Amino acid sequence: MASQTVLRLEGVTKRFGSFTALDSITLDIADGEFLTIVGPSGSGKTTMIRLLAGMDAPSSGEIYLSGNRITHLPANKRPTCMVFQSLALFPHRTVGQNIEFPLKIRGLDRAARRARAMELLQLLRLPAGYYGKGVMQCSGGERQRVALARALAFDPEILFFDEPLSALDYRLRKTLEKELRALHRQTGKTFVYITHSLEEAMAMSDRIAIMRSGRIVQTGTAAEIYNTPKDRFVAEFMGEVNLFPVEGTGGGHFKGLAEPLQAGTATLALDAAARATLMVRPEFVRFLAPGEMADCSLEGELHNEFALGSRVQYEVGLPGGRALTVEKLAEARFDGNYGDHVTLGFDLAHSHLIREA
Amino acid sequence: MPHKPITRAALLVYGILTLLVLYLPIAAIAFASFSKARYLSFPIERYTSQWYGKALESSTVSDLIVTSFKVAFAVMLVSVVAGFFGALAFARYRWRFRGVFQKFVLLPIFFPQAVLGLALLMWFNAIGVTPTWQTAIAAHLVWIAPIATLVIAIRAYGFDPALEEAARDMGAGYWQILREITLPLLWPGVVSAGLFAFLLSWGNFPLSLFTTGADLTLPEWLYAKMVSGYSPLVPSVGSMTLALSLILLLASAACIRLTGRRRRRANGGEG
Repeated sequence: MASQTVLRLEGVTKRFGSFTALDSITLDIADGEFLTIVGPSGSGKTTMIRLLAGMDAPSSGEIYLSGNRITHLPANKRPTCMVFQSLALFPHRTVGQNIEFPLKIRGLDRAARRARAMELLQLLRLPAGYYGKGVMQCSGGERQRVALARALAFDPEILFFDEPLSALDYRLRKTLEKELRALHRQTGKTFVYITHSLEEAMAMSDRIAIMRSGRIVQTGTAAEIYNTPKDRFVAEFMGEVNLFPVEGTGGGHFKGLAEPLQAGTATLALDAAARATLMVRPEFVRFLAPGEMADCSLEGELHNEFALGSRVQYEVGLPGGRALTVEKLAEARFDGNYGDHVTLGFDLAHSHLIREA
Repeated sequence: MPHKPITRAALLVYGILTLLVLYLPIAAIAFASFSKARYLSFPIERYTSQWYGKALESSTVSDLIVTSFKVAFAVMLVSVVAGFFGALAFARYRWRFRGVFQKFVLLPIFFPQAVLGLALLMWFNAIGVTPTWQTAIAAHLVWIAPIATLVIAIRAYGFDPALEEAARDMGAGYWQILREITLPLLWPGVVSAGLFAFLLSWGNFPLSLFTTGADLTLPEWLYAKMVSGYSPLVPSVGSMTLALSLILLLASAACIRLTGRRRRRANGGEG
């Protein structure tokens, strides 16, 4: 990566009794990037962010901030700040007092604190009159902004986010995702965000790290992870996917193991007798008209059609008993009836070969 | 939805009965304290306030008040401090023996107080401590500190541990967190616990009876005078004891309301 590493994890492991929550994580976080760590619940992402923020210490491994070892430095000595899932706004304080809290701890005088709080209210598009408002009187979205303002008042080198948007309704979440993205550009700070929602991750981040069972499975841009997932878990985690088990038959040719795949002349980088998984996203599968060609084709029966607004999804039953998902834009809707025999095809250029140990 | 007339009538009767059962005996003592007769008897024939004057002049009564107050005040202070940290251990922190602690710390509340008093007296004798009003403080604490802990713990359960973590994350040290976050949020519980502690100690009889030795508290004196050598001061001293409890209750209610209002008005930025 071109930009400088600001936070570095080296073989970080965290055990709780006999349970390993984080298993030898090594990760570089670049200065100024928006990194989202995504994983299902129990994948260790919360443990990870707590270690990064200094609320827990790892069992082994080291953490470096701008080259300095901070592995055992407590949270109050780190120049980083976290926005909590519950937001952790102080209920006995006003909006202004909440925002000023880190400045008060730092010993700033009242006038300077107030001036900074007013700036932050403006940055987060909260009315100046909110300065004296009780935090508990604010709406969900307003509280998010207050929590953000408070974290920014601390002026951290890195901002951590522990799924702060998860409790909000869909529309508000979408709005705040955009605002967060804009705020990231505006402030130029490093944002590290954890969530279980892939949609949130793709909407906001420069880079995504996928976690599973205490390990980072893959890191990359949203497009990289979507198009070239490292394993079946990532492939399935990143939305709808069709996976075909295949076996090489020599010379780059291959056969489907679960259902017959009619392969044309195109080849895969697969040795004879080697097994792998061929992945195709639903939007790259076509309904073939008679005589139309594709690198790979197969027969099936139309089972279901789901209208998803701008897109339409089809479920096609395959001879082996599995089902295949096809997705089209609503304007390119396939005109068929349930039970129709259909021929499907896709090109290998739009597929990805997953090799797992 | 409006209630049926029969329901309304039943609620009214219930309310009046409850108030009568709860407060009539206490009102009777107050009336008796104004009776001119030297012995408790109803109906009261002539009223006077002379017993209050006599009680206030009496050095016995002022000694009693001072002793009871010293005990109650000390019990209150220790209970609140122990209860505050005990409540944090009870409700906020996860530690190995928390489950055991939670059960055992509350158990003394349910001990028969007479047995507890006797047991403590035996202990004081065994370790060679002469019972005085000071040993009564220790005895009261065994029963009252757990109650104070429980009262504050109930408050502590309702507070998000992330608040302290967030404060710490923004650079606050232990004492700053305690002063800025933990204490203000637990404050209503602390005030209630202090009030409970004072009043329970102030009115306690069974523990004091066993553990004050030669010293006397107000409830002990009231009992002693009823058993032998009745004094016409008994109803007036009893009423004054009660009055002080009431004043304290009202004062703390006002205190809680005031701090609430000041907090709401304190928009200036100073916590």
